[in-house]
Amino acid sequence: MYSEKVLDHYSNPRNVGSLDKRDRTVGTGMVGAPECGDVMKLQVKVNEETGVIEDAKFKTFGCGSAIASSSLATEWLKGKTLDEALTIRNTDIVNELSLPPVKIHCSVLAEDAIRAAIEDYRKKQAQPQPLEAARP
Amino acid sequence: MERLTSCWNCGKNTEQIHFCGSCSSLQPPATNYYDFFGFEHRLNLDPAALEDRFYRLSRRLHPDVYFRRSAREQQFSLDATAILNDGYRTLKNPISRAEYLLKEKGITASENGRQPPPELLEEVFELNEMLEELRQGDDSLRPQLEEAEQRFLKLRDEIDCRLQVEFELYDASGDRSRLLEVRSLLSRRRYIRNLIEEVERELVGA
Repeated sequence: MYSEKVLDHYSNPRNVGSLDKRDRTVGTGMVGAPECGDVMKLQVKVNEETGVIEDAKFKTFGCGSAIASSSLATEWLKGKTLDEALTIRNTDIVNELSLPPVKIHCSVLAEDAIRAAIEDYRKKQAQPQPLEAARP
Repeated sequence: MERLTSCWNCGKNTEQIHFCGSCSSLQPPATNYYDFFGFEHRLNLDPAALEDRFYRLSRRLHPDVYFRRSAREQQFSLDATAILNDGYRTLKNPISRAEYLLKEKGITASENGRQPPPELLEEVFELNEMLEELRQGDDSLRPQLEEAEQRFLKLRDEIDCRLQVEFELYDASGDRSRLLEVRSLLSRRRYIRNLIEEVERELVGA
């Protein structure tokens, strides 16, 4: 039932891992699909000057399609600005991976994760920077 | 639930499910499982009563009974048998029964696109990571895997206890907010169930 591309991402997932979530240049999105009990964590590391995503990592506990969707998402995110990243739609993932209708929610999950990660990054950036001078 | 329809055969109004009260011909089956079995739309259901009605209806609705009757009744009998089996399976299990009632009340699993609470996701993620670490280890980690299994089973039991309480509260009050509570418990339960399946697969394979 899985396409070649899903199998490829599933057996060789790109960018698995995690970034320091306390880093203010890192945005973390943690999302879940209550219908099937999958959890997905997706993180982006953003260049504060240019707003370009320099690194992206994910970790997904779920089915092959959920893993492939998040793996593909991290590949697409790298090198994009935040605004470009927000234009990624779950339908793009569905098309690229040829996901069957029953697995569309996996791509929705990946889109939600992207949005959550960017939102987290922007929230962090809106907060005042800790004072360097306060350190001894 | 009361329903008043006119019989396809004699045209008289009938309140009965399955058979016309006047001419006793077979009627098109109720598609709602609760109505089909003649139960109130509640979360708790007496399993003995369900089983009893299942076997009684199986005999009365069986296609063999209708093979000499009209084509219409033969079709109703086939339709009814399908609903009988699906409905029995769905209502028998408290979890699928609750999911069914929630769906009937228009409450979907995904909380209208809203994400599950972050604490739950964090917890499930951590449990998954712990499990992953244990799986990558050698056989010496087996006791820890077994411990993890016990922990997950305990979490599931706790959810089931809380569900039981919510079932009773909803049945007594009909309060929709209780159903929302049931939904979030069911969603949590699905995450825990996945963890249990994972750990059990590992223990069998190890």
